[in-house]
Amino acid sequence: MMARRFQVTVDGHRYEVEVSELPDTAPALAEPALRAPAPAPAVWGAAHAREGLAAGPRQASAGTIAAPLPGVALEVRVAVGDSVAAGDVLVILEAMKMENEITAAAAGTVETVHVVPGASVAAGDPLVTLG
Amino acid sequence: MANSKKLAELARRREQLFAMGGAERVERQHQMGKWSARERLAALLDPDTFQELGAHVEARVGEPAPADGVVTGVGRAGGRPVYVYAQDFTVVGGSLGEMHAKKIQAMQDLALKAGCPMVGLNDSGGARIQEGVDALSGYGEIFRRNTHASGVIPQITVIMGPSAGGAVYSPALTDLVIMVRGTAQMFITGPQVIRAVTGEQVTAEELGGADAQLTRSGVAHFAADTDAEALALTRELLARFPANNLEDPPRQPPRPPEPVDLNGLVPDDPNKPYDVRRIIAGVVDRGSFLECQAGYADNVVVGWAHLDGQPVGVIANQPRVLAGTLDIDASDKLARFVRLCDAFNFPLLTLVDTPGYLPGTAQEYGGIIRHGAKVLYAYAEATVPKVTVILRKAYGGAYLAMCSRSLGADLAVAWPSAEIAVMGPEPAANIIYRRELEAAPDPAAARREKVAEYRERFANPYVAAARGYVDAVVEPAETRAALIRMLSALMSKRESRPSKKHGNVPL
Repeated sequence: MMARRFQVTVDGHRYEVEVSELPDTAPALAEPALRAPAPAPAVWGAAHAREGLAAGPRQASAGTIAAPLPGVALEVRVAVGDSVAAGDVLVILEAMKMENEITAAAAGTVETVHVVPGASVAAGDPLVTLG
Repeated sequence: MANSKKLAELARRREQLFAMGGAERVERQHQMGKWSARERLAALLDPDTFQELGAHVEARVGEPAPADGVVTGVGRAGGRPVYVYAQDFTVVGGSLGEMHAKKIQAMQDLALKAGCPMVGLNDSGGARIQEGVDALSGYGEIFRRNTHASGVIPQITVIMGPSAGGAVYSPALTDLVIMVRGTAQMFITGPQVIRAVTGEQVTAEELGGADAQLTRSGVAHFAADTDAEALALTRELLARFPANNLEDPPRQPPRPPEPVDLNGLVPDDPNKPYDVRRIIAGVVDRGSFLECQAGYADNVVVGWAHLDGQPVGVIANQPRVLAGTLDIDASDKLARFVRLCDAFNFPLLTLVDTPGYLPGTAQEYGGIIRHGAKVLYAYAEATVPKVTVILRKAYGGAYLAMCSRSLGADLAVAWPSAEIAVMGPEPAANIIYRRELEAAPDPAAARREKVAEYRERFANPYVAAARGYVDAVVEPAETRAALIRMLSALMSKRESRPSKKHGNVPL
C-alpha cells in the first residue's frame, strides 16, 4: 500500500497529510466468532502448537548485523557473496569469556564483511551486512 | 397488550446494542483485519457464558451511542469467571468519555470484590474530547483501580487497535500486555507530534507496533498475528493463573519432559554457548513452557511451566545471548517476572549460568546498579518456594543476585559443571598471584597455569557445597527428579515478612 503525501489548506492553515488507498478486497479474516467461537485450546497443545508465537518477534529484514557487546572477532565464518539462512552463524565474537555466536536474523546474501579475525570491536560496530 | 409492547421495546434496544456501530462500520473494522468488540468477547469467553452489564449506560454529552462504545460484563474462560471490557471502535471510535470510563471502573470494582481476573480489550481513539476533563478523570479513576487491584487479581490487557496518550497507562499498570501485529499501536506521543518536535520520521507501526513494544521497549509481553491468536493466548494465560492472590495456580496432569540429553547439553568448555531453553525443555513437563517477553532482553529467559503438574515460574540466564550477562533490560524483565510470580503463588525455579553484570559506560550511566538491585530485591522479597539450579558460571554479585541461598533460595542445587566463586578464574588469578606473575620468567605461561589452578581449586560446586551454600550436587539427568522431590516438600512453606506499608523497591 503506497502512501501519498498532500498539502491541504483549511481556513488558511496548511496541513501535510498522508493518504493511502485501502485495497478493494478485504484482507482475509477468519469467520467472525460472533455466535460460535472456536473451541478453547487445551493449555498444553496450545503452548506447543503456537511455537511461532512463543518464539518471539518477527525478524523484519536482513540488513547490517552489529556487535551486541564489545569483544574480539574470533572467527569469521562467511565471505562476501555467500548465501546464508536465518540462524546461520556469521561471526564468533569472543566477549565476556564467551564465544558468542552472531547469527543471521534473516536469510540473505553477504554483501560486506566488516571485520577480520582478531579484530577488536565495540558494541554496535557493524560485523556483516546482508542484502 | 402493554407487556408485549414493553418486551418489544427491550428487543428493539437489544438489537441496537447488538449492532453496535452498524454493519457498515463493522465491515470497515473487518477490512482492517479487526473483529468488533462483541466478536472478540465471543472468541475470548466460553459459549453462552457472557452476561453483559451496563449495556444501557449513556453519555451525558452528545447523541446516545450503543453501549457508549464499550461492552462490559462477566463471562467464563475455561469455566472460570472473568470480568471483561471490550472497547468498540465502531461506536464513537471507542473513545473514552465519562460514562464509558465508569462502565470499565464498575467491572474493575466487581472483579476486585469477587477476586476474579480482569481482561481489557482495547481499541480506542483515545479520550472523547467533547467530554473534556470528565473524560480525563475517567482515565485517572481507571489507573487508580488498576493499581489497587495489582497483586490481588490478575489483570491482562489486549491491545487490538490504537492506544495513545493517557490510554497507554492502564495497560502499563496491568500484569500482562498482549498486542496484535499490524493493528495495535501504543505510544505516548504519535508520529506527527514527534516529527513536529524532534524532526524524527517514524511510522505508527515502527514507533509503537507490537514488535516495537515487545522487542525494543519491553512494554508488551506478547505479540500475536491476529485477534483470534491474541484471544486464544489470553485464554491460555487465564488458565495458568489463579483467580486471585489467595488461590494457587491450577495444577495440570503431570507429563514427562521432552527427551533431552541433559548430561551432554552444557559444553565442557566454559566459553562455549548453548541454548538454555533446551535445558528448560528437558526439565519441565513436555510442552508446558510458555515464554514471556521472548524477544526482549533475551539474555534472560522467563516463563511459566509445569513440573510434574505443579505450576512454576522459570527464570534462566541465556548464555547464547550477550554471553548470558545481566544488563539493565534483563534485570527489569527478570525482577518484574519474579514479582508477578510471587504475587500469584508460582514457585520460582531459577537456572543460573551467568558471567556477571554487563560492563560498559552505557550500563553504568543507565543505572545498572539501580536496575540490578531490583533483581536482588525481587528475589529476597518473594515468599513463594524458591529453588535454584546452578548450571555453570555463578560468580560474584551475579551469583548472589540469581536467587542464591544467601539471598533466600530455600534450596540450591548445583551441577558438577558449576563454577561458584567470588569471581571468574582469569581476573581472580591476576589479583591473587599478581606478585608471582610479575616475577615469573614467562608471565603468560605462569598466568595460564595459575588460572587453571584457580579453576581446579575454586571454580567448582564443592567449595560452596562444603559451606552449605549448595544443598545437593546432582547429575544433570537427575535434575527433574530432584526438583520434583524438593518442590513437593516446599509447597506447604509459609513465610512472612515484617508488617509494613510497602517496601521501597529500587525503581
